[in-house]
Amino acid sequence: MSDLALRARQNVAFLTAVGLFLVVYLIYHMSHPKGFSSAVLVQNADEVFTLAMVAVAQTVPVLAAGLDLSVGALMTMVGCCASYLLTGTTASMALEIAGYSLPLGSLPAGVPGLVIGMVICLAIGALGGLINGLVVVYGRIQPIIATLATGAIYIGIALFLRPQPGGKIDEDLNWALTNSLGDFASTVHIFSDGAAPWFAPFAGIPTPFVLLALILLIVWVPFRRTVTGRTVYAIGSAEGAAYMSGLNVNRARIAAFTLGGFFAGCGGLFLAIQTSSGNADIPQAGAYTLNSIASVVIGGTSLLGGAGGALGSVFGAMMLRVISFFFRIFDIAPLLQPLFEGVILLAAVSVGSLRVLRVKNTLELFR
Amino acid sequence: MNLRVSALALAAVFAATAALAGPKVVAGPGADAGCFKPWSDKTKFFQWEKKAGPYRIALVNGFVGNIWRIQMVKTAKAFAETPGIKENLKEFKVVSTGTDVAAQLGAMEDFINQGFDAIVTIAVAPDGFDRIIRLADKNNVVVVPFDNILDTDKVMMVNEDQHAMGVMSAHWLIDQMGKTAGDILEVRGLPGNSVDRDRHVGFREVMEAAPNKFNITEVVGNWDPGTSQKVTADALAVHKHFDGVFTQGGSDGTVRAMMDVKHPFVPMSGEGENRFRVQIADYAKDGLKGMSYGQSPALVAIAMKAAISALQGNVMPQLVSIPIPVADYKTLKAGENYFPDLKADFFAPNQFLPCGVTFTAPQIMSQSEANTK
Repeated sequence: MSDLALRARQNVAFLTAVGLFLVVYLIYHMSHPKGFSSAVLVQNADEVFTLAMVAVAQTVPVLAAGLDLSVGALMTMVGCCASYLLTGTTASMALEIAGYSLPLGSLPAGVPGLVIGMVICLAIGALGGLINGLVVVYGRIQPIIATLATGAIYIGIALFLRPQPGGKIDEDLNWALTNSLGDFASTVHIFSDGAAPWFAPFAGIPTPFVLLALILLIVWVPFRRTVTGRTVYAIGSAEGAAYMSGLNVNRARIAAFTLGGFFAGCGGLFLAIQTSSGNADIPQAGAYTLNSIASVVIGGTSLLGGAGGALGSVFGAMMLRVISFFFRIFDIAPLLQPLFEGVILLAAVSVGSLRVLRVKNTLELFR
Repeated sequence: MNLRVSALALAAVFAATAALAGPKVVAGPGADAGCFKPWSDKTKFFQWEKKAGPYRIALVNGFVGNIWRIQMVKTAKAFAETPGIKENLKEFKVVSTGTDVAAQLGAMEDFINQGFDAIVTIAVAPDGFDRIIRLADKNNVVVVPFDNILDTDKVMMVNEDQHAMGVMSAHWLIDQMGKTAGDILEVRGLPGNSVDRDRHVGFREVMEAAPNKFNITEVVGNWDPGTSQKVTADALAVHKHFDGVFTQGGSDGTVRAMMDVKHPFVPMSGEGENRFRVQIADYAKDGLKGMSYGQSPALVAIAMKAAISALQGNVMPQLVSIPIPVADYKTLKAGENYFPDLKADFFAPNQFLPCGVTFTAPQIMSQSEANTK
């Protein structure tokens, strides 16, 4: 069997997810009055980005056979932090606790301040993930329970920061990151304000899409190739065997949760920029956590761990979103929409697990 | 790169495009003042460029799954079929996006891309819609938030005065109790919501003003009968007695909790649920001196009408105030503002005659989806 065929066989679930998504997405564009246009792509990318990021965040701990129930909460907390850090002005910040004011210094105005603010936000996300990992590994608590608890803490901090939705994130930052590359270039004045001739073919590409690809390429792909990254997969496959092989299981598990926290932070940061405000919305945090797990499953990652990957989850998230796109084009009775969504979702997941029918040895089902 | 300078340049670009698109701020009075009453003397007036009808309008709902939202969706569909509205609509689409703000923003942007003329919406958060407003103005799309409205004055919005509901409730309790001191139970709504905040603030302003000396116990009922019943029972277990009750919703649950522990009926102010109104009618003689104000699901109909009016080029108030439908134990009339024979729960106030919203709540709720389509 050739190398390519072997790889395809190992990634059947992922390829099914991609194929299914492409078919459905093509139908969407063909039925849309402005299908295949940059405006529609930008809208789709904006809507998908946060969920895709949170789904990737969920994927890493899941690969190590642990669910992370705090991704939605962590996303929300980072979003609330962003609503203070990304105002683009020099206002000095202070933390008010029980009447005491703790000065936190101030960020420089303009681009440097925004960049520092974004870095701090991502660091907060990674820190939240690190805490998850430490609690799971050294507290020896089941990930699902540990992250349920830390998730409650993160949502608590978010509520403390933003008891009411608010904040005002820099308008240009919002505009630059939530539109096409052309708008990005003209907002930050690069490539002759986006008018450079060589730039024209790329001007219509949605910025969030590029960001998503960059984050995966710069963070996820290298991580997966390290020993720690491969250990994450090994833990999900057979933790005992991984340990006996001398792999550092604890370190890999902490790394998995930390990386998950970082990705959740990316999602929260973008959601805050997209809405130019912070909102400690508890039902929304819950919805994102649930949808992240659904995306992981649709994307072909096994909830038992050890098989799958981040790119699949991205397609899973896109699949999840694209279902609701159809309600905007076709006439479906509004109160029946959740039913349709559920049926299509079930079908999508079932297609991914069709391989079960061809399994000759029942023991294979346990991996 | 220098973002400061770019901000100025960008602002200039937008100032230029804003002159071409979006609503113009004009002098009042607005069209059809009986229906579209401006919020206050300070309310701005908007005018959009006149577009030829019929129009394509979308309703982008957020959360779906409680009685109020279902009644709202059904009212919208029924209203789209009424004469006077039907001729103006080429297409009317309804989607519910859940509690996810990204999905709601996405749906609105999709409808803008599809070339819809107006979008009627219940925002899932009072903030975060700046980008959509910018896009809508650029494409001359009329966006009309109602019920949970936005903290901005850049769009036309439709609502009842939530603050006034709180004030009105406080006055009712003080009048009916006939005293300026005592123990009060306040059952609040969904936390972090502008409706909950405004009603609470209005209520407290009156109750806490001198010379009143009320001891107010606050619980969170999430506008839900089950939750309200539970938290009221908890509060009663601790405090034993209240002289008056103000609830933001799930009102019948609160009454049931009081009946369960044989708490004497006391003056009370609550939402517009039919069950609550039936309770008031049944137990008013025993002391349940109730007042029922209502955030009507028919606000959606007025928002739709406002969108059509704006598309026709009429002058519209930026913030439209809808009168609060109120009934108390003296003004309740069976078959008119409450319906004792109907088992299913719904929100009783549904008619707004000055706006041509003529169907009653039972008419709406007895209709199946197929009929309204």
